[in-house]
Amino acid sequence: MTSIARSAPRRLASFALPSVPGNERIALAQVAETVAGLGLSPARLDKLKTAVAEATMNAIEHGNDSRPELAVTVEVFQLGAEIIVTITDRGGRSDDGAPENSAEIPDLDRKLGGEQDPGGWGLFLIRHMVDAMDITTQDERHTVRLMMRIGSQDTCAGGGLSG
Amino acid sequence: MHVRQVGDRAAVIDIKGDVTAASEPVLMSAYEQADSQGAQRLVLNFGELEYMNSGGIGMLVTFLIRANRHRQELAAFGLSDHYREIFELTRLDEAITIYDDERSALSDAAS
Repeated sequence: MTSIARSAPRRLASFALPSVPGNERIALAQVAETVAGLGLSPARLDKLKTAVAEATMNAIEHGNDSRPELAVTVEVFQLGAEIIVTITDRGGRSDDGAPENSAEIPDLDRKLGGEQDPGGWGLFLIRHMVDAMDITTQDERHTVRLMMRIGSQDTCAGGGLSG
Repeated sequence: MHVRQVGDRAAVIDIKGDVTAASEPVLMSAYEQADSQGAQRLVLNFGELEYMNSGGIGMLVTFLIRANRHRQELAAFGLSDHYREIFELTRLDEAITIYDDERSALSDAAS
């Protein structure tokens, strides 16, 4: 009997940041440093940095309500040709209240017409920057997982993660 | 941010550093200055932009709403490929004409 073994992801970095607005810049810099040399093109690295910054900002401001005593945890993994970044907050919010579930798809015409708030671009950007993303909630932990394939074309897939 | 009046009808707003929600007072102050000088074409210079996030995009939408109310044209130059792509994704490029450089942005205004 044979089995197909799927190797476990290799953790490249793990760090925690206080939930202070602006700390998303630290997250993007540390993730960029961690994945340097893994084969992402500069353009795709820029996209990953933007997605990490947006997800971390959401975790700080919405998940942890900008409470410095609550940490946002960022982890970077490599699984074959995939780079996976997870951003976890401990805000304990329910899925119903999460901005990614309640937000409308941003539409510039509606925003210019006053039918939508000018903001609300964060999740939209994340989805278009990475090859896949998903969001999970377990107890009080709320995790956004971002995936970029090494060596992929510069396309914005925005699909879901599996596994 | 710095505002440069160019001729009678155009102003260039030089953006330096970050464009985030926190930049709103500074950018809106620049808008007021350009508007008070009678500019009908506002040109955003992103050549020294270091970082822009979703809050900054929202602020640009607010900026655009103000300019539309005053029937002013908006143009931009100096965007990196990454931020140019974000302008395309958000469709900001349909409302803010993007040029490769300042000369092109201003010469188009004059024509």
